[in-house]
Amino acid sequence: MKALCWAGVNELAVQEVPDPAILNRQDVVVRVVASSTCGSDLHLLDGYVPTMMAGDVIGHEFLGEVVEVGPDVRERRVGERVVVCSIIGCGRCRNCRAEMWSLCDNSNPDPGFLETLNGHATAGIFGYSHAMGGFAGSHAEYIRVPYGDVNAFPVPEGVADANAVFASDAVPTGWMGADIAGIRPGDVVAVWGCGGVGQMAIRAAYLMGAERVIAIDRFPERLTMAAERVGAETLDYEKVDVLDALKEATGGRGPDVCIEAVGMEGHGTGAQYAYDRIKQATRLQTDRGLPLRQAIHACRKGGTVSVLGVYLGFVDKFPMGAVMNKGLTLRSGQQHGQRYIPMILDRMSRGEIDASHLLTHPMSLDDGPRGYELFKNKEDGCVRAVFTP
Amino acid sequence: MVAKRSIAVAALAAAGVVAVRRARAHSGLRPGPAEWFAVTVACDPAELSAANRPDALAELAEHHEVRITPAPGGRGTELAVRSADGSVRERVRAIKQLLETGEVLRVEGQPEGHRTVLGRAALPVTRQLMRRGVR
Repeated sequence: MKALCWAGVNELAVQEVPDPAILNRQDVVVRVVASSTCGSDLHLLDGYVPTMMAGDVIGHEFLGEVVEVGPDVRERRVGERVVVCSIIGCGRCRNCRAEMWSLCDNSNPDPGFLETLNGHATAGIFGYSHAMGGFAGSHAEYIRVPYGDVNAFPVPEGVADANAVFASDAVPTGWMGADIAGIRPGDVVAVWGCGGVGQMAIRAAYLMGAERVIAIDRFPERLTMAAERVGAETLDYEKVDVLDALKEATGGRGPDVCIEAVGMEGHGTGAQYAYDRIKQATRLQTDRGLPLRQAIHACRKGGTVSVLGVYLGFVDKFPMGAVMNKGLTLRSGQQHGQRYIPMILDRMSRGEIDASHLLTHPMSLDDGPRGYELFKNKEDGCVRAVFTP
Repeated sequence: MVAKRSIAVAALAAAGVVAVRRARAHSGLRPGPAEWFAVTVACDPAELSAANRPDALAELAEHHEVRITPAPGGRGTELAVRSADGSVRERVRAIKQLLETGEVLRVEGQPEGHRTVLGRAALPVTRQLMRRGVR
């Protein structure tokens, strides 16, 4: 079959690879119908995730049709249209049972690297390096899904592929960012990053009762999309001082909740940004942290900062003084998608959540390398390129 | 160029890991190599004791000191093995997986594209190292 493979730093190639097979009795095999680019893939492309190897199939946000089920699969059936959570859970360990699926004890068979780096390993992720389990990704014609009963969710009839594909990652991640922040009716929420995850966090914040949501980015088309499609007020950080603007917009208090949906390769302006770029380029720090520092600085006293952007290792100049002295709550995590996906699909079928506008560039899998170029450089207004094999 | 950069990234990552381990070793939290390797299994202690225990655990107990204790707060059972080398750690993880999920998750045999000569040689070694962990 065809698959999009990582071939080196900033190098992708469509290659012929063997078809997947059932490797464990609870596996299902899915014929991929739609597989999305995701901002977190850019860290793989740019070489910041060290356990990638040439030949790894990438991609983790996808939808398809079940074509084969293992002998111990009880719920899934051949022919079902399913969306699969990008992060793999076993459904039986203590963390999965507590609905903290991305902390699964069993879905990452090769936990050593993360145990050394972080103290403990987290769940396996499709197409996201050998540190995250070395699972083949979804930018392919077929994919093997472990623990099929708990990771693949039937899509209700009437929810289009272009909408449902984002129930795999962008929507539940955004939802979780708002959920773990404990948004209350009347809250003012600020969201850094107007990509797919940021926009879905904005939508979730409103559904949870936020009175105002202020979105921060620099790309005009993304700011426009955040305003028109999910109703955010917007700030272009290249045109205004974000900290001043947020204080002014909140009567000096600062936002009640600050959601960071950017991650380790965030952009910014000024000397702090230049400092981060140099330190990351020379590998003196692994992750750039300007939007995160800004979110902490902006947040109201006693507020909550919710970190959705992917970080791998270490951020320098982390403002712990602000966290401590302002009594902030810091929440974070990879998405616990399985907790939210059934509810999200239900809301999609009722028209309460629509993510289909994120799909700006439907493309053939053959054009995968070009799709990532458009996505990475935000060319042609690209928010998400989604591949069909 | 790309290959060189990849190697440089890998080398720096390895250096980072060594630095973390050194910092940890000097932090006073861990004076020497850990004697016990422990996991918590979501099961009743009775399932890991006496005749009920799985064969893999019985075999392990033939050659290693094994400690089974109830985990606090109803969190299942703590399974600890003394003087666990890499292969023993892999077996302990497998026992936990088998008891909790009914299978030991496999990743060998998945689709993969063109590996470099170096990559083809390095993958099994890297995978084994990551499966067992460094201690």
